[in-house]
Amino acid sequence: MNSARVALVTGSAGGLGRALVAGLGAANWEIAAATHRGGAFAADLADPEQARSLIARVIERYGRLDLLVANHAAMTMAPVDRYPLDDWWRVVDTNLSGSFYLARAAVSHLRTTRGAIVFVSSEWGITGWPEASAYAASKAGLVGLTRALARELAPAIRVNAIAPGIIDTPQLQVDAGAAGISLGEMKSRYADAIPLRRIATPREIAATVAFLASDDAAFYTGQVLHPNGGTTTAS
Amino acid sequence: MTATRDSVALVTGASGGIGRATAERLAGAGYRLAINYLTNRAAGESVATALGGRAYCADVSDPAAVEELVARVETELGPIAIAVSNAGVYQRVALEDVTDEHWRRTLRINLGGAFHLTRAVAPGMRRRRQGSIVFVASELALVGSDRASPYVAAKAALIGLGRSLARELAPEIRVNVVAPGPVDTPLLPDSERGPAYTAAIPLRRIGRPEEIASAIVHMAEAPWTTGAVYSPNGGVVIQ
Repeated sequence: MNSARVALVTGSAGGLGRALVAGLGAANWEIAAATHRGGAFAADLADPEQARSLIARVIERYGRLDLLVANHAAMTMAPVDRYPLDDWWRVVDTNLSGSFYLARAAVSHLRTTRGAIVFVSSEWGITGWPEASAYAASKAGLVGLTRALARELAPAIRVNAIAPGIIDTPQLQVDAGAAGISLGEMKSRYADAIPLRRIATPREIAATVAFLASDDAAFYTGQVLHPNGGTTTAS
Repeated sequence: MTATRDSVALVTGASGGIGRATAERLAGAGYRLAINYLTNRAAGESVATALGGRAYCADVSDPAAVEELVARVETELGPIAIAVSNAGVYQRVALEDVTDEHWRRTLRINLGGAFHLTRAVAPGMRRRRQGSIVFVASELALVGSDRASPYVAAKAALIGLGRSLARELAPEIRVNVVAPGPVDTPLLPDSERGPAYTAAIPLRRIGRPEEIASAIVHMAEAPWTTGAVYSPNGGVVIQ
């Protein structure tokens, strides 16, 4: 039986995921780092069985769970009337359903530890984004899931979310390729639309998650924090 | 460009409740009505007959069925100017008791219904440079609710979907969202009708379907309104 507080971080191989593992690790969390690619905690979270199995493997390994950070995401962009149906549902079922499946499987363990959940939503879920209908719907759905589960699981479990803006991650190279511009041009294009005139570092977004997970945020539940450089002023 | 009032409006889940009230208001404004229903054929036919429209059975969670629905409506009644995605399911279930099938079905109907309808009507609306789509979400998406996580998640997702599609389909097509508070429909549980519940509502009563219908039709016809979320809710949500 491990005495350190245990956090499960999904999507841990991505740009933000790696920063989450580092940031929470620095805050003395023991971390189960899950990815869809491999390792001890591999899971395709669109499949409810694999979500159940992931939680079971974490409990088997660490004996407890104090924090779930649902950070995994799938992303495809396409016009709504030409969006391949399988892709649309893969995005929604990975991002939204997968987070739900994890929360459902984790809830009994989190009740025991009086733990917390942080869902990683997105600015695009708040503002919408053209040709990102599945992604934006899934991320907006996470806001609703946060509010629903915060009410339902209080007072034992706190449930919050972050809706970050554009982050400096390898995804930007994909965006630049799709737009046919350089990475530098992509970054400045995004930065120009942000009041703080820059995109976020993964580290500072991870710090927002670490705050919500910490005892400093013990009175936060059902809340969505918006580290986005000022792109949304109300939501 | 807004729809002229002799054009066609399609309302899903229109055999009762908010859908039926919306169809009645649209018919009163001069639209030809396509009344979609799933299980209640008698009620669907009766609404259609009363409004001089046509009833269409289709499962909105089935994308092929929605494609066929839209094709039939446009063949039989004419091009769709207004599409209202209203069909939905609501069930109170605690998180641990939500089955995989319950989650999946709620998402496929409440979120998928709007997605399937939009992808079916958008090409024609864009070609005609005229169209208006309204999604019916819920006030619960704004404030959450216990023991309704699949419903709340799906309705909140609808808001994100509506905002994305408003950006994507502009300027030809407008997309808006109505997020009603507790309304006197068959979906509303008895626990949300009594005086103990309504005492906590600033306007001291639940809403009438016609009061939501008027918001839906207003949004559907408001030419400079897109990506908006209106929440007629008696003051349940003030933020």
